[in-house]
Amino acid sequence: MKGLFAAVLQSRAWRFWLGAAAVLTIAALLQWTDTEPAETQNLTLFAYEADRDPGLDPGNSVWERAQPVQVPLSGQAATYAAGGGSVPVVSVRAVHHKGTLYLRLEWDDPTADTSSYRPEDFADAAAVEFPAQAATTVPSFCMGQPGAGVNIWHWRADSEQVLALPTEHYSNAVVDWYPSTEDLFFTARAAGNPYALNASPVQNLVAQAFGTLTPAAEQSVQGHGVYANGKWQVVFARPFSTSDPELAAFGPGTKTDVAFAVWDGSKGERDGMKSVSQFITLSISGAPLAGGGPEDWPWTVAAIALFLGLSAIGLALGWYGYREARMGR
Amino acid sequence: MATVYNWHLGREMSYPYQNGPGGWQFAAVFNTNRCIACQTCTMACKSTWTFSPGQELMWWNNVETKPYGGYPHNWDVKILELLEKANPGGQVWDATAKSDDAPYGRFEGKTIFEAADGMTQRALGYLPSEEEWKGPNNGEDVATGWSAKGAELPEHAGWFFYLQRICNHCTYPACLAACPRQAIYKRQEDGIVLIDQERCRGYRKCVEACPYKKAMYRPTTRTSEKCIACFPRVEGSDPLTQGEPMETRCMATCVGKIRLQGLVRVDETGRWVEDRQNPIYYLVHVEKVALPLYPQFGTQPNVYYIPPRWVPRAYLRQMFGPGVDHAIERYTNPSRELLAVLQLFRVTQRIIFSYAIEPGPKVGEVRINGTVREIFNDTVIGYGRDGKEIVRVTVEEPIYERPQRKTLNSI
Ligand code: SF4
Ligand code: SF4
Ligand code: SF4
Repeated sequence: MKGLFAAVLQSRAWRFWLGAAAVLTIAALLQWTDTEPAETQNLTLFAYEADRDPGLDPGNSVWERAQPVQVPLSGQAATYAAGGGSVPVVSVRAVHHKGTLYLRLEWDDPTADTSSYRPEDFADAAAVEFPAQAATTVPSFCMGQPGAGVNIWHWRADSEQVLALPTEHYSNAVVDWYPSTEDLFFTARAAGNPYALNASPVQNLVAQAFGTLTPAAEQSVQGHGVYANGKWQVVFARPFSTSDPELAAFGPGTKTDVAFAVWDGSKGERDGMKSVSQFITLSISGAPLAGGGPEDWPWTVAAIALFLGLSAIGLALGWYGYREARMGR
Repeated sequence: MATVYNWHLGREMSYPYQNGPGGWQFAAVFNTNRCIACQTCTMACKSTWTFSPGQELMWWNNVETKPYGGYPHNWDVKILELLEKANPGGQVWDATAKSDDAPYGRFEGKTIFEAADGMTQRALGYLPSEEEWKGPNNGEDVATGWSAKGAELPEHAGWFFYLQRICNHCTYPACLAACPRQAIYKRQEDGIVLIDQERCRGYRKCVEACPYKKAMYRPTTRTSEKCIACFPRVEGSDPLTQGEPMETRCMATCVGKIRLQGLVRVDETGRWVEDRQNPIYYLVHVEKVALPLYPQFGTQPNVYYIPPRWVPRAYLRQMFGPGVDHAIERYTNPSRELLAVLQLFRVTQRIIFSYAIEPGPKVGEVRINGTVREIFNDTVIGYGRDGKEIVRVTVEEPIYERPQRKTLNSI
């Protein structure tokens, strides 16, 4: 037996193969046991190719197969209007399917703040930020800077609701008559304000510094949020390619920076008053999302198969090495 | 933060932006002594600008009864309290430090900009709740007490008065300072402060910051709106005056003839350029009979009030600053010129840019505070932007006798 180990350890090739097997085994075990990497600014979020369209439903089973990354958040203290910090972490998953990138954010929030109807009501919200394609340097994650803009996808819970008239919102409200109800008399609507038009729960925005946030010409981001069991789950989706240099572009085999922000409406959070992350890496892989296939194997079966397969390789390698050693000496 | 000059306070103060290059500034004088709280002004504004869904709780113009009324409820008491907490005992004036540059003396306390931390708020303020925007005329006509012996000047034992309020189109607007998106702007051509309805994202930082609570939230568009100073009228784009600037709706409709609105020239420091014959300049800077509302807030508001004569002075000094005693003295015993200029209130819809007085005959004598005053029936003439006469009126109101008509419904 002593000869066997010595031979294996002395051969460089064997060392390499053994090391590789060990790494694979540990990786498989980590996947299988759902262990998260430590919190760090060097987090990487992987987006693998899903074999099925996850759609905009955060409850779609595709998401169960994507590994979440826990992204730490903190209050915004860099500039006016500072505040936030009430949500410490957001759990993020990413996949892609047929040239569309999907992101799913999940965070704890004890109240679903879905209305902005009363003057004191602010809605819960979430945002994802990427450097613009045209950015020549990595922009500041705080809204970018001139020459290095950012592209922000912003979801707000009130935009999932219909924009009710006061007589619809308050069942006991009595109004004799509204003389005019065309858009012109909803000034912001006539001015093309996206919140007043209530066109989509998600706005595609660009910024090149604080206070410069502006809707992009291309409103190609879709999204949907669902609140259940004390958690918000929000999905964002956008096709990879875009012709607008101010927007982010994606593709299999590419990497980009991505940052996240979350607002808790009942704490009066809006604008810069938010819980925000630093940039992490989003790696879009051409490889398929694990656990796919026509039968859609349960994840545990795949993990056990991987473990058994690696064990078999290990045993075979061990046996081969033993035989070589015996034959060589 | 920039350093700007606030002549209401008689000192420099910090503000997030520098002054503009100067130009014209929207300004008005309200004579609280004459208001009958008919709310015609309020309805004129409502029926012009805020009659659509989501604007039900919005009163860009409101008239409230002081001391108990307030729209939104207790707005001024709340802000005064926030300031007092931020600077206990320090919100005081040095009224002796008067000069041309400091007509009311020097304010030694903190403005809403100076009392804010600059990071979470750029101006000390609060966001009123929906409840507080309801009942806009709560406290109407409620006096502080009943005086069985009747009331006598100079201070009534039981008192109330009407306070007419619109956006002040401040020289240093708190709404503008607080907007993180720079969606609020002040126009160089007339100093009117507007919210860009395309850029507003409904953060309500302006609603929180405006100490006068004249930026308001509209739920049906999820944006904030405010008084627009009827800018098409001020610009002269209303067909009625064929290009000549016109007073706003709330001014032009005032039944009590308490309001006079105009445009004054300002320089790049926010000071008024001397314009002796402009009636607003004359009332504010020459006679000093009209005073800013809560100048200590620090926004340098542009609506000026002739304070009510019968109200306890301590209350008025808190509201209008240390210029109150002088203003009331002037108003109670007006100079010959002031008496003439006061006749210009509500005699035309066109903005009066300057006036001249033609002396008239002596028509009577009155005894004021023990001294005998002669009254002259002078004629005051108002001129428009182009220098052409637009109105002419005498101190003594002429009496016309209508020829007798014999019709069934003759009144
Ligand atoms: S009164 Fe309020 S809303 Fe109007 S300009 Fe001043 S700060 Fe802004
Ligand atoms: S100036 Fe015009 S918009 Fe402003 S309160 Fe008066 S009527 Fe309303
Ligand atoms: S219309 Fe004139 S008198 Fe009537 S409430 Fe308004 S300001 Fe007062």
